[in-house]
This record gives sequence, structure tokens and C-alpha cells, in this order.
Amino acid sequence: MATGQKPIELILARNLMASLSTPAFLVDEDGLLVFYNEAAGALLGKRFEEVGQMGPEEWGTAFGPFDDHGERIPFDQLPLTIALRKGRPAHAQFQIRSIDGSNHEIEVSAMPIVAGGGARGAMAIFWPIQQ
Amino acid sequence: MRVKIWGARGSVPSPGPETVRYGGNTSCVQVTLDDGTIVVLDAGTGIRNLGLALDGDCPALHILLTHLHLDHIQGLMFFAPAFREQTEIVIWGPAAPEATLRDRIARYISAPLSPVEVRELPCDVSFRDTPEIEWEIGSARIRAASVTHRGPTLGYRITEGDTSLCYIPDHEPALGAPVDALEPEWISGFDLASDASLLIHDCQYADSEYPSHTGWGHSSMSDSLAFARRVAAQQVLLFHHDPMHTDDSLDAFFGSAIGHWSELGGDPSQIEMAVERRELELGSSGPVLSTAGA
Repeated sequence: MATGQKPIELILARNLMASLSTPAFLVDEDGLLVFYNEAAGALLGKRFEEVGQMGPEEWGTAFGPFDDHGERIPFDQLPLTIALRKGRPAHAQFQIRSIDGSNHEIEVSAMPIVAGGGARGAMAIFWPIQQ
Repeated sequence: MRVKIWGARGSVPSPGPETVRYGGNTSCVQVTLDDGTIVVLDAGTGIRNLGLALDGDCPALHILLTHLHLDHIQGLMFFAPAFREQTEIVIWGPAAPEATLRDRIARYISAPLSPVEVRELPCDVSFRDTPEIEWEIGSARIRAASVTHRGPTLGYRITEGDTSLCYIPDHEPALGAPVDALEPEWISGFDLASDASLLIHDCQYADSEYPSHTGWGHSSMSDSLAFARRVAAQQVLLFHHDPMHTDDSLDAFFGSAIGHWSELGGDPSQIEMAVERRELELGSSGPVLSTAGA
């Protein structure tokens, strides 16, 4: 039974994230959002199990993100997109909008996940900024 | 294909009167394909006895290394065919970013750990990074996949006709997540082991031992059995016995495993403890037939 087995690097990353109380996102090499942890779910207002996998354009707009002026940040400027496309770490500060409509100021650090066979995906850690 | 266990112990060789029935040699499994090709899974100390048994009548063979921890390569230096000019040996193993497979193995087969250097081995030996795509050896198709362990580590699947052997001797699929709750695509090694005729799998720790060894790269009994059930393996050999486990303790361990396997809905006849010199024949259909004991 072929399952579309995830690369071991993504499996390990997901298992790590599942153990963290820091919000974290995981995307595969195609930019598909394949997991976010419970802490991220609490921030976004929905558990990953309720949302499921999302394509890049979908997760890039589902929760904002917005800059200080309330303008939507282009998808290709998001840290996760930079980590995935350029293969380097990226950091940013912006606002996201939860399912309930509340905005949260966060910092995001993203890093690429690269193995011997090339890029596997990218992961991002979120840090809510207390207002 | 025929399968023979030459070493089922994990971590370190543990010879002695208290381990004589299950054996004290570390990981090594001989697979003889239908066309006669010999594939050797890992080169722990068990490979020494395999080399003696081959008795000079094996012109070529393939060694598939899951990883380079010492209990999986220690026997290479004592493998008789490696010291015969007429033998061709191809060693496959996981790629790593910092050095070639040959150079990494040479850290062991070189001074001061060894009196012989790799380049001095009389046989015709070559080293190849295990590819990420399926390839052929003899009459079999071989597939490898990275699995959860410490450092670059592979599991292998050898398929010949309708018969398949999956070998994952060092594996901690439950690290950070419960095997019985994860979706299949998120379980390390799932595709590799799925529906295997025979699964040879890590079962180093009793459940009571696992909490103090979490993250060491090995499975508890419950996790090993849960993995075997999830992948629907037809037959399971519990492998990589802890060096602290004596024959008597492994007997008791197996009793617990049978009970747990039954609770999971499995047929007790599907599981065995790996025993040194155990031989099995994998038929083209139906169950695996055990043909000889230790």
C-alpha cells in the first residue's frame, strides 16, 4: 500500500513540532502546508486536524498576514516562502488574523529543510509579541 | 529467496553462556536470491561466520549497510571473502554530506583501529551510495528509505516476484509520536515495510526499559509490534536484541510479545524472535516457512 510517504526529515520535523509549545508550521518541498502544531492551532483558532493540508496560495492568505499598515504581505515575501524558494533562513515581523477575526502581532523565523537529495521543505517558528 | 540470520544482537557483541541460544553476534542477515545471488544485510560480527560458511565458492556478493554504527560494520575486517582476490564485493550504504562511504568505512578499517587499510583488502571491493530509487541486484529489486535512527540510516526492501523482505534493524518510529495514532504517510518506514512477506525489525527494549532510552534510535516491544501491525507484515522477526537480555530474559520477552501481538489482533504464529543461524524460506505466496533452527 503506497501512502505517499513523507521524507524522514519532514517526519522528524513534525514529531519535533508536535512536542513543542511554540507555534510551528511545516511545509513540504512543493510548498504544501503539511502540518502545524497545537500551539499554532491555538493562535490561529483552528487545529490542523480541522483544516488539513493547504496549498501555498491558500495558507499564504488564509491568516493574513498583514504589515503594520494593514496591507497584505505578498506571498513571495513570507519567511517560509523565502526559506523554501531560496534555501536560506528568513525572519520577519507581521500580523496574522485568527479564525475568530482577532489580530496577533508575531515574529516568524523560517528555515529550509535540506537533505542529501535536496530540498525537503521548510519549517517556521512563530513567536507572539505581547501587546 | 532464502534468509539466514548470522547475527541478531544489537549494540555490542555479547557472547557467553547466557546468550548462547539466541546468539551474541551483531547484525548480519544473508539473503540468497532465487538466481543464487547473495545479498548481505549489514556487516556486524555475524558476518564472520557467514564468510567462513561461504567457503570460497562465492565470486561476487553485495553488502547492504543500513548505517555505519560499529555493530553494523565491525565484522567487515573479519569477513573471509574480503581477503580473497577472486571475490568481488559491492558495499552499499547511506550517503552522508561530510565524506564518501568509502572514507567513512575507512575510519574503522585503518590505523589505529585496524592493521589493514581498505586499499589493502585483496578482494575487488567497491563502495556505492545507496540510491533513492529502486534498483536491481540479481533477480531482486531493491529499495531503500531513510528511517528514524541516529545519523543517516536506511531500511531496505528486497522484492523477488511476489515475495518481499523488509529489513529495518535500527528504528524508532515512535520517537515523538505514537505509531498507532499517526497517518501512514507520517510513519517512518511505512511504505518500505508495507505488506512485506517478512519484516525483520528492531525490538531492542522492553516497554519498561524504553523510557530511559527514548531517542537512542530503537524500539520498544509495543512500538515494534504496533509498527508491524500497521504495515500489515505477514511475518515478523523481532531483531536487534539488547546485549543485556539473556536467553532466559528473551524467552520471557517473547512470551510478552506474543500476548501483546494477540491483543493487537495478530496471529501468534506470525512473530518470532530472531535467532542466530535461523533459516527461513520465503515462498512466492502464503506464509514464510521456517526450515531450520539455531
